[in-house]
Amino acid sequence: MTIFWCEDSLDGILTGIYDAWDSRLGHNQVKLKTDAQDTLELFCDYRQVKTDAVKAEKVLRTIRDRLGEEAFEAVCYAAACTDGGRADAIYRMVVLGLHMKDGRQVVNCLQNRDVSLVMRLRIKAWHEAHRYMGFVRFEELENGVLYSVIEPAYAVLPLLAPHFADRFQQENWVIHDKRRGVMAVHPKDSLWVLADAEELNTDYLGHRSEREKEFQELWKSFCKSIAIEERRNPRCQQGLLPLRFRGCMTEFRKDQSI
Amino acid sequence: MQVRVPENLSLMEKLNILSDAAKYDVACTSSGTERSNTGKGVGNCVDAGICHSFSADGRCISLLKILFTNECIYNCRYCLNRASNDVPRAAFTPQEVCDLTMGFYRRNYIEGLFLSSGILKSPSYTMELLYQTLYKLRHEYGFGGYIHVKAIPGADPRLIEATGYLADRMSVNLELPTAEGLRKLAPSKSRTWILTPMRQVQNRMEENRNELALYRSAPRFVPAGQSTQMIIGATPENDYQIVSVAESLYQKFALKRVFYSAFVRVNEDSMLPALPGGPPLLREHRLYQADWLLRYYGFRASELLTEDKPNFNVLLDPKCDWALRHLEQFPVEINRADYMTLLRVPGIGVRSAQRIVKARRLGNVDFPDLKRMGVVLKRALYFITCRGRTMYPIRIEEDYITRNLLNVKERLPFGMDGQVTYRQLSLFDDQNFSMPPGA
Repeated sequence: MTIFWCEDSLDGILTGIYDAWDSRLGHNQVKLKTDAQDTLELFCDYRQVKTDAVKAEKVLRTIRDRLGEEAFEAVCYAAACTDGGRADAIYRMVVLGLHMKDGRQVVNCLQNRDVSLVMRLRIKAWHEAHRYMGFVRFEELENGVLYSVIEPAYAVLPLLAPHFADRFQQENWVIHDKRRGVMAVHPKDSLWVLADAEELNTDYLGHRSEREKEFQELWKSFCKSIAIEERRNPRCQQGLLPLRFRGCMTEFRKDQSI
Repeated sequence: MQVRVPENLSLMEKLNILSDAAKYDVACTSSGTERSNTGKGVGNCVDAGICHSFSADGRCISLLKILFTNECIYNCRYCLNRASNDVPRAAFTPQEVCDLTMGFYRRNYIEGLFLSSGILKSPSYTMELLYQTLYKLRHEYGFGGYIHVKAIPGADPRLIEATGYLADRMSVNLELPTAEGLRKLAPSKSRTWILTPMRQVQNRMEENRNELALYRSAPRFVPAGQSTQMIIGATPENDYQIVSVAESLYQKFALKRVFYSAFVRVNEDSMLPALPGGPPLLREHRLYQADWLLRYYGFRASELLTEDKPNFNVLLDPKCDWALRHLEQFPVEINRADYMTLLRVPGIGVRSAQRIVKARRLGNVDFPDLKRMGVVLKRALYFITCRGRTMYPIRIEEDYITRNLLNVKERLPFGMDGQVTYRQLSLFDDQNFSMPPGA
């Protein structure tokens, strides 16, 4: 058994798929892994995969052409999750799909463990991204830039940014994924880019605009007055809005600054 | 009548009063419209809708839900803002509503605006204020987000039509399920009076669909459809009547949603029922479950309840209840049954039924596969076979299945589960398993 050890990202996994296939060891003789700290397996040959954007692009194009749009989306979303088995599952799904007469049917083949895992991970990541579409809270800075901090469980920032790029086309905004140290930056009327948070000048983030405090207070009091006391049900609230989201949300924060 | 709205309230005070007054309105959905940014203004709409927060009662906050004013000329007995109540009154100006909406929307607090109102001076006067607000928001501020607005019964039809072109969803409150209830608790309103604007919006939407088929860029009238809401438990209707009303609203008025709101006793009034156990939340929950069965699962109201058995089972959800009364139709073979039959199996929802139908084209489906597809096997296993076999040896027998289904704890959304685990055996129905009508 040969284990291809790839970087924990979409490009890393896709390069791993390319290398594993290219090695011609046979699909049963190879395995993909992402997490580095995992216990090493006995009687296995480990190969480090060097992430290569060109190889990744090739695999992604093949998936899109041969397995269809739905599989393409599923792979992108599933790769954003943290599940340890996802790289191997994506590999198996691609192998299965390319051997089917109609590759686009592979997403329906839910009897298969790997396909089913990829599809479930896709929903998980989609759900996380969808939640963040609502839970992102922007703060207006002195220069009019909207700034937000999030700490998502999965790497959903690239899935989230297109939504806000459309919604706030005429705004300068920044979403900062603190857990992964990346930022999505959107200058007014142009395309959004993903950037390393450490490389950016973050000095100006400290100053809030004049009316920011007022709106935060208005929002907090709105959230309080909209609840019906007779129906009070914190358990239900916590099921729908788990505590891990609340650290970054204005209405649940005690202090003023992020 | 003198106007009791004080002039010099701050924005914060107004927001507190008018969001507090709007909280009994149920609809806070932002679904049904897909619209991208125009490139000039701010905002778009997502078809699935987005929840932005959840309040302490577990309801979602998606829209800035406010009344334009809580001043009202009517005196409906169930309403906090009725004319005879001594509550602080306030009114926004269109400018203030726009400022709040834009400020909140830019910070991604909300998905849009939900604007309702008490009746100031006359229905037409109030409707015109709502129209002005929406016009300002759409045209001066370039707001492209979601807007849900109330159509006010009795207002000039031209005003309602003009407002419909600016909003995504319109709703007229049915208030109470039957005409008698309305006569009793809201004597100044009548059923026909409420249904007139609802019919108007429905007809205009149909015409608009034809216009859009001809000209793609024709202005869109209420693209997310119309909805309504009614209060449950303030009047003595039974569940069968309520579900039948909802069904006829879906069929005859082409509504998108009917919302049910458990009655909260906010006024001391001899005509209102006392509710010692709090609002009838379980009943509301069962009605929503039935509502879903009507809209997505192909059930008819007469299948779920009958004149003889007019109320929902307290212990079992309506679908399990139906299945137990129709055991002759089970078990169902997963690999052969058609989609509509699969939908009727307890434990199989729309998503999992779709997955089953897709997956079985490529090979047989077995129980572990079903589990991975999201079927709730602990409920479904009594009603299905895979390749001719049941999961365990089971008896298709009502008592046996009921007993087993009751062992599986249903997840109820309001802390009713998990609180009482063991209790003294009793010979009497002191747990109120049979719900009296009006409870």
